[in-house]
Amino acid sequence: MSVLKLMPSALAGRKLATIGFLWLVLVLLAAVFAGVIAPFDPLELDPVNRLAEPGWPHLFGTDHFGRDTFSRALYGARMTVIIGVGSVVVALLSGGLIGMLSAYFTKLGHFLMRGVDVLMAFPALLMALVLITLLERSVANTIIVIGIVYATTTARILYGMTLKLKNEVFVDAAVCSGASHRSILFRHILPNLISPLLVQASFIFAFAQLQAAALDFLGLGLPPEVPSWGNMLSEERIYLTRAPWLLLYPGLLIILSVFSMNLVGDALRDNIDPRFKDDISGV
Amino acid sequence: MALLEVENLHIAVSVGGVLQPVVRGISFTVDDNETLGIVGESGCGKSMTSLAIMGLLEGTPVRITDGSIRYDGTELLQLSSKQRRAIMGNRMAMIFQEPMTSLNPVYRIGDQIIESLRQHKSISKKAARARAIELLDLVRIPNPSERVDSFPHQMSGGQRQRVMIAMALSCDPKLLIADEPTTALDVTVQKEVLELMSDLQERTGTAIIIISHDLGVIAETCDKVSVMYRGKIVEAGTTENLFERLAHPYTRGLLNSIPVVDHDVEWLEAIPGRVPTLGEELSGCAFHPRCPIATGLCIAKTPGDTYIAGNHAVKCHYADQVAS
Repeated sequence: MSVLKLMPSALAGRKLATIGFLWLVLVLLAAVFAGVIAPFDPLELDPVNRLAEPGWPHLFGTDHFGRDTFSRALYGARMTVIIGVGSVVVALLSGGLIGMLSAYFTKLGHFLMRGVDVLMAFPALLMALVLITLLERSVANTIIVIGIVYATTTARILYGMTLKLKNEVFVDAAVCSGASHRSILFRHILPNLISPLLVQASFIFAFAQLQAAALDFLGLGLPPEVPSWGNMLSEERIYLTRAPWLLLYPGLLIILSVFSMNLVGDALRDNIDPRFKDDISGV
Repeated sequence: MALLEVENLHIAVSVGGVLQPVVRGISFTVDDNETLGIVGESGCGKSMTSLAIMGLLEGTPVRITDGSIRYDGTELLQLSSKQRRAIMGNRMAMIFQEPMTSLNPVYRIGDQIIESLRQHKSISKKAARARAIELLDLVRIPNPSERVDSFPHQMSGGQRQRVMIAMALSCDPKLLIADEPTTALDVTVQKEVLELMSDLQERTGTAIIIISHDLGVIAETCDKVSVMYRGKIVEAGTTENLFERLAHPYTRGLLNSIPVVDHDVEWLEAIPGRVPTLGEELSGCAFHPRCPIATGLCIAKTPGDTYIAGNHAVKCHYADQVAS
C-alpha cells in the first residue's frame, strides 16, 4: 500500500484537502526547481535596491540587504521540504523502533518507555531549545532535534498498536511456524502499522514546519545565512512597519503549507480509519 | 517410544505473584498416524496444554512448573529458543480456533504460505509458490492458482481455516495440534474440515492432537480420547472403549448435555454447578461438588486410576458402577 495509491481515494470529494495537496505539490516543485525558477541568487546583495516594494523585477520585493525575497522564498521551500522529510525520517525511525521494541520485549519496554515519558514531560519547544544549545546550529542538527521531539509521540502510538498486534492470533501462528523475533516484528507486525505510520508522518511534517520556523525565529534553528521561511521572518521582523510584505510572504507560505499538510493528513487518516470520519474535514 | 510424550505436566498461572495451578500433572502420548482428542469444558487446561507443547507460553504469566514434553525423544522444555524454532513449523505445527484472525490481514495468503515454507527449507521463491498452489489444492481451495493471490478478507471462514491447514502442512510436520479447529465454523463446513484433516493424515501419516469441547467431533475423528477436568485427565482410553463404557460421571454428564436430534426432550440435561475457579481448593476428587453420585469418600480421598477394559483409565472411586 503506497501513499500514491491511497491519495486519490483519500482526496475524492474533499475539495479543501485537494487544494492543500496541490499546494504541497507546488511547494515540492519549487523546492526541486528553485535553482531554475529563481530569477536572482538568494544570497546576492544589492544595497541600492534595499527594501524595494513588490513589483518588477523583484516580485516579492527585496529585504534590507537588497536580496530578492521571491528567490529566497523558493529556496526556503527547499529547506521546508528537507527539514520536513528529515524530521519525519528521524522521528519515525527512532520513535517507531523504540515503540515497537518496547511493546514486543516488555522488560526492555519498561525501561525505554519511561525514558520516552520523561522526554514527553518537557514542552516540545523547551526540549528543542535545550538540545540545540548543546549542539551547534546547522541543518542536520535542526532535523535531529525536531525528529527527537516528535519521536516521543510516534513511540507512544506504535507502542500501543504493537502491544495489541502482538497478541493477535496470526502472530502466534507465526511463532508456531518457527519465525524468529526479527521476522515477527518486521515481517508480520510492521506491515500492519504502515497506515498509522503514514498518517503520523503527515502530521509530523506539518508540525516540523512550525517547530523549525519557531526555532529560526528565536535564532536557534538554521544558520542565519540559510534562506528559510523562518529565518526570513526572524531577520525582517524589525522592518514590520516599513516593509510589511517581507513578513507577509514567508508568514503566508508557512501558514499555507502547514494548513495544507494538516488537511491532507486528516484526509488520509479519515480514509484509512473510518472511525474518524467526520463532516468538518470533508467539506 | 511414541512421537510425542507428555509426562506429569504441571502448568501454573501467576496471579499477583502467586502461582495458581491450571494443569495438575497430566500424561499422554501420541504416535505417528494417530489422532488424540482432548476434551473438556472451558478452563480445564486443555488449551494451556497445547500452548505449552508449542512453546507459546513464553512471555506470558503462565509457567510450566513440572513435568516433561518429549518430541521424538528430545526434551522440548530444555531446548534453547533457537533450537525450538527449528522444530516448530517444521516438525510440529498448530491450527488455531479463530480462522478470522489467524492469517495476517496485510499479506496475500500465498505469501504467507511461502514465508512459512522458506523459514525452514531453502527453496526458491518460484518453487515455494508452486508448492503453495499445490498445498491449496490439497486442502481443496477451488481454483488455487488464482486464489493464491487473495487476501484473507476475500475468503470465507472455512476457506481461511483450510488455508491455515495448508500453512501448517507446508513443511510436512509429523505432529499437528488443532486447538478447537472447527468451533468457529458452521456445521457443514466443520464436517468438511474434519474430513480434510483425516484424509491428510491417511496420506501423510501425521500425528494429530485435536482439542475440543465437542464430544461429537472427538468421537468422529479420534483414535484416542483424554477427558480433562480441572487440570487432570479424568478419563482416557481408545475412542471405541471409552464411548462404549463411559466410566466417569463427568464424561457421562458431558455426553448427556448434547441434544439428540431425533429425541423429543423438554429439558436438556446439564452438569449442575459451575466450573471451579482458579484459586479454589477442592479436597479429594475435584468433581465431587457437581457429581450426582459423590459420597464422603470422594471428598476425603483423591481417586487414582481405575482400569476398565485394557488401557481405559478412569479417575473415579466408583468407575465400575458408572460403567455398568
